[in-house]
Amino acid sequence: MSTTAIMAHMIPYFPDRELSYAAAHGLIDSKVDYLEVQFPFSDPSADGPTIEDACGRALASGFSTARGFEFVHTLVDRGAPPVFIMTYAGIVYASGVKEFCDLARQSGAAGLIVPDLPYDYDEGLYEAGAAHGLAVVPVVAPSTTPERLTALLNCHPEYVYAALRVGITGAATDLGQDNLDFLDRVGAGGAKVMAGFGIRSRDQVRMLAEHVHAVVVGSAFVKAISAAAAAAGPDEPAAAAEAVYSAVETLVSALRPD
Amino acid sequence: MSQHQFSTFKNTFGEFGGRYVAEVLRPPLDELEAAFIAAMSDPQYRADFDAICSEYIGRPTPLLHARNTSRELGGAQIYIKLEGLANTGAHKINNAVGQALLAKRMGKTRIIAETGAGQHGVATAAICAKLGLECCIYMGEVDIARQKPNVFCMELYGAEVRPVSSGSRTLKDAVNEALRDWASSFEHTHYLIGSALGPSPFPDMVREFQSIVGQETKAQLQAAGVTPDALVACVGGGSNSIGFFSPYLESDPPRLIGVEAGGRGMNTGEHAARMNGLGRTGIVQGYKSLFLLDDDGQVQATHSVSAGLDYPGIGPQLAHLGSIGRIEFTRATDTEALDALKLFARNEGVIFALESAHGGAAALKLAAELPPSATVAVNMSGRGDKDIFITAREIAPESWKRFLEQEVQTL
Repeated sequence: MSTTAIMAHMIPYFPDRELSYAAAHGLIDSKVDYLEVQFPFSDPSADGPTIEDACGRALASGFSTARGFEFVHTLVDRGAPPVFIMTYAGIVYASGVKEFCDLARQSGAAGLIVPDLPYDYDEGLYEAGAAHGLAVVPVVAPSTTPERLTALLNCHPEYVYAALRVGITGAATDLGQDNLDFLDRVGAGGAKVMAGFGIRSRDQVRMLAEHVHAVVVGSAFVKAISAAAAAAGPDEPAAAAEAVYSAVETLVSALRPD
Repeated sequence: MSQHQFSTFKNTFGEFGGRYVAEVLRPPLDELEAAFIAAMSDPQYRADFDAICSEYIGRPTPLLHARNTSRELGGAQIYIKLEGLANTGAHKINNAVGQALLAKRMGKTRIIAETGAGQHGVATAAICAKLGLECCIYMGEVDIARQKPNVFCMELYGAEVRPVSSGSRTLKDAVNEALRDWASSFEHTHYLIGSALGPSPFPDMVREFQSIVGQETKAQLQAAGVTPDALVACVGGGSNSIGFFSPYLESDPPRLIGVEAGGRGMNTGEHAARMNGLGRTGIVQGYKSLFLLDDDGQVQATHSVSAGLDYPGIGPQLAHLGSIGRIEFTRATDTEALDALKLFARNEGVIFALESAHGGAAALKLAAELPPSATVAVNMSGRGDKDIFITAREIAPESWKRFLEQEVQTL
C-alpha cells in the first residue's frame, strides 16, 4: 500500500475570498498532506492559462500579500497540513526577502517555492529561509543539466519540486520511464521529491508512488473550484461554498490510490 | 561597410539585470550565451551580418541635418538619424537579423517573438522569411487592434500572429506568452526578444546588435565635422536608445537623454515613465530593473499613444546608467509627440514613428535652450507609416472618417 502524499495547490481569493476559504477547508478536511498556497502575481510567466486566469481573478477579488499571509495563518490555525507558499520573485522582492520570510514564518508556513529565484540568483532566499526555519523548495525540470542538479542538491534542500516535463503548468503530461528516471536522479541525494505538472488522475499518482515523496496537483484543483463555483452561480454564496468544498473533497478521493 | 565592433558581455549592470528564471529556462539561456559569445568572434558570422546590413537592411541609414527646424527654433543644430529608413521601417531589423542569424547558426528552425507596436514583429517576420525560418509572433489584442497594418505585413511575410488575451493584452503579456512557448519549445525554437531587456544574455545581445546605429551616427557626425553636445532617443524597453548611445557611454560629453512616455498625465495607468523616481526596483520577466509596480510588487497598468513605449519595465542597463547619472531621463506626452511629428513632417519632409516622436519632442525642447553652435542628434528609430490609423484620427479625424467609410463601401 502506497503512502504517497498529496500536495494540493490553491490560490487565495480565487474565485473570491469566501470561496477560496471554502476550498481550503475542503482540502484540510479531506486530509491532503500538504497545501501549496500560490500568492498571485500579475505576470505569472511560468503558469499556463488556467492558473494565470485564476491569479488574475484573485487579484481582482482583492488579494494582497498581507491578505495572503492572513489566509495562511487562518488555515494553519484551523489545523492545516504543512503549507508551502508558492509565488514569483517579484512578490518576494517587493516585501524584501528577509521580511517576506519573517512574515511567512509568522503565518505558520512550512516553506517557500519561488521558481524564478534559482539558487544562483536567489537574492538571499535560501539563507533567509534557513534562518527563519522555512524549507525553501527548488524547482527542477527534466531539462536541468546534471551540473546544475548536482549544485542544487549540494545546497541540501529538504524538499525538491520536480516538474515532470518542460513547459508551463496545466498541460497534459504523459508519464514514461524517462520521467521516473529523472525523479530517481532528483531523489538520489535524499531530498523529498514533490512531483507535479499535469497530474490529474489516480493512475498517474499510482505510477509515481514508488519514485516520489508527494505528488502536486494544481491546475486540476483550480479547474474543479472554478467549475463548482460557476455551477452554483453568484447569487447563492452559501450553496457555492458548499459546492466548492465538495468538489475539492471529490477530487482528493479520486486522486488517492486505494 | 564592416565597422561594427562588438564589446564585452556584462549580464548584470550595477544592481540590475541578471537571469531570474525558473530552472526550465536555464538551459536555453546558457546555450544562447555560449553561442552568442562564439558567434561574435566568428568572422563568417560577422561577414554574414554585415552583408545583410548592406544588401537587405540598407545600411548605413542617413543622418539628416534638420536645417529648417534648427533655423526656425534659432537654437542648436538638430541632426536626425533616419533609422526609420531601414528595411521594415525601424531599427528593430538590426537585432532581428543578428539574432535570426545566430539562431540559424545554433540549428534552431523556429523563431518566436513578442511585439508591441508591431515593428519588432514585422522585422522578425521579414528576416525569417528571408532566412527560411518558421515564425510565430505573440501580440496583445489591444496592440493588434491599434496596429493592424503591421499585423497584415507580418502575415504577408508568412508569420503566424498569435493574439494574446491575458492580462492587459499589450506588450508585457506578449512577452509572458513567448516565455511560456519557449519553456517547452527551446530545443528547436529561439526566442527573439526585441528589446534590451529580459533575462541575460538578452540585454547584452540586443545592445550589441543595435550598437550599429550609434556607431554609424558617430562616424556620420565626424564626417559632417560636428561634435554632438547631446544625443536624444525614446525609451520603451530601450533597444534603440541603448544602441544609439552605446559608442558614447564611456565618454562624457555628450549628454545622453532618454525620453519616456508621459502619456496623458502622471496618474497611475496614464503613462509609462519608470525613471526619475516613478518606478520601483523589482524582478519581472526574468530580470531586475525599474518597473511600475504597486506596494506588493504587482505590475501596474501603463498608457502611451505609442504601443512601442507602452511597457512597465526598462532595460536593466538603462536603469543602471540612469541611476549613476550617465543618462538623463525626461518625458514627452502623447500630445507633445504628435506635435513634434507634425513639425518634422512639415519642416523636414520626415514622418517620425509615434515612439520616435517622443525623442523628437524632447530634442526640440532641448535645442531651443542651446545656442546655434551646439549640436543635438536624435534617433528617429522608426518611420510613421505604420501609425496613420492613429495619427490621422488625431490630426484629421473628419476627412479620415470619410475615407474609411468610402473604403468600407468599396469592400
